[in-house]
Amino acid sequence: MVREALVSGLTSRAWSPYAAGVLIGLLQIPAFLAIDTALGASSSYVTMAGHLAALFDGGIAERAYFTKYMTGDKYFWQTALVVGIAAGAFLSSGLSGMRRIGFSPIWRTATGSRTLMGRGVMGFAGGFLLLMGARIAGGCTSGHGISGIAQLAVGSTVAVAAMFAGGILVANLFLKRV
Amino acid sequence: MSILAMVLVGLLMGIVFGVALEKSRVFEPGMIVGQFQLRNFIMVKMFLTASATGLVVLAGLNGFGFVELHPKAAIYTATIVGGLLMGGGMAIAGACPGTVLAQIGSGYKDAIAVFAGGILGAMAFGYLEPTLKPILLTGGSGKITYADLLGMPFWQLALIAAAIIVVALALLERRQSWHDELGDDFDGCFEVNGTKSTSSAAGTPTPAE
Repeated sequence: MVREALVSGLTSRAWSPYAAGVLIGLLQIPAFLAIDTALGASSSYVTMAGHLAALFDGGIAERAYFTKYMTGDKYFWQTALVVGIAAGAFLSSGLSGMRRIGFSPIWRTATGSRTLMGRGVMGFAGGFLLLMGARIAGGCTSGHGISGIAQLAVGSTVAVAAMFAGGILVANLFLKRV
Repeated sequence: MSILAMVLVGLLMGIVFGVALEKSRVFEPGMIVGQFQLRNFIMVKMFLTASATGLVVLAGLNGFGFVELHPKAAIYTATIVGGLLMGGGMAIAGACPGTVLAQIGSGYKDAIAVFAGGILGAMAFGYLEPTLKPILLTGGSGKITYADLLGMPFWQLALIAAAIIVVALALLERRQSWHDELGDDFDGCFEVNGTKSTSSAAGTPTPAE
């Protein structure tokens, strides 16, 4: 029974956003009980960036911001978490015959991107802003969003409002309707 | 817990997270851009459901004294500036720091560039942090929650907030069903009777509006 449900769940092409949301919300149980932290994603980028910077910058150990994220146990957990996200999506898209190729067709409409190179340059800039912003704000849609609201954190509700404001502004001013 | 065990727990949790992001289609750039263009609400539906579930879970775990909460500090200038930048980045990247990994896993090639840009962004912030700290990252009201502000036990306000979110989601779903928002290709390209919304820009009304 459980096996059949698991197979049919994994081979289906889409779930209700409510089912997926409940599952993600339940991940707070192992996060708080086993790791004593809340679900998050953007700190792991500092962990990875710090270890990468250490390859060419011998002075990285003097930089307190990097060393905090490079040595804390829970940041190793979070780095494993984001690697797991890629593995889970690989599994899920493969089992349902939904593997993606190239880049999403929305970019042709939204930004006129025709080549992977053109889209890649824009994506790179977007990714830079994304993490620069997330680290200034001290969290992303997971840490400030899903986890911040779940803890009724005052700062996180401000962060989520700002994220939506920034997204709505840019998506309506600079992108065509998809 | 040993680091190895923590990494294994993280991997397992990440796989569940990744499956849920892929199955809900929230990882699709089209869903994220569509949400910001206020046309497709699948992202908000998943996001608020996850938050409400977390509220109920933490009402129990914290209410019965099993865990302590870890709210982030409220540093308003940094939160607003960073949040605005991040939101703009999300629209251009078509991803958030977590979903970009799901995009890589599902095969999108441009997501690798988004991820690389993200690593560089985090690195740049790491180097700038000592300079930015006195300007942006100070002040605010510390690690406070709305339960602290109202002087209520966390579990009570958490359950009330979860109930409010559930009602809001029910109203949203009645206005626009998630089935209609999926589209034919499940990629966030809005389609009406098999025609992409962009090709009907001549004025054909779409049911979402």
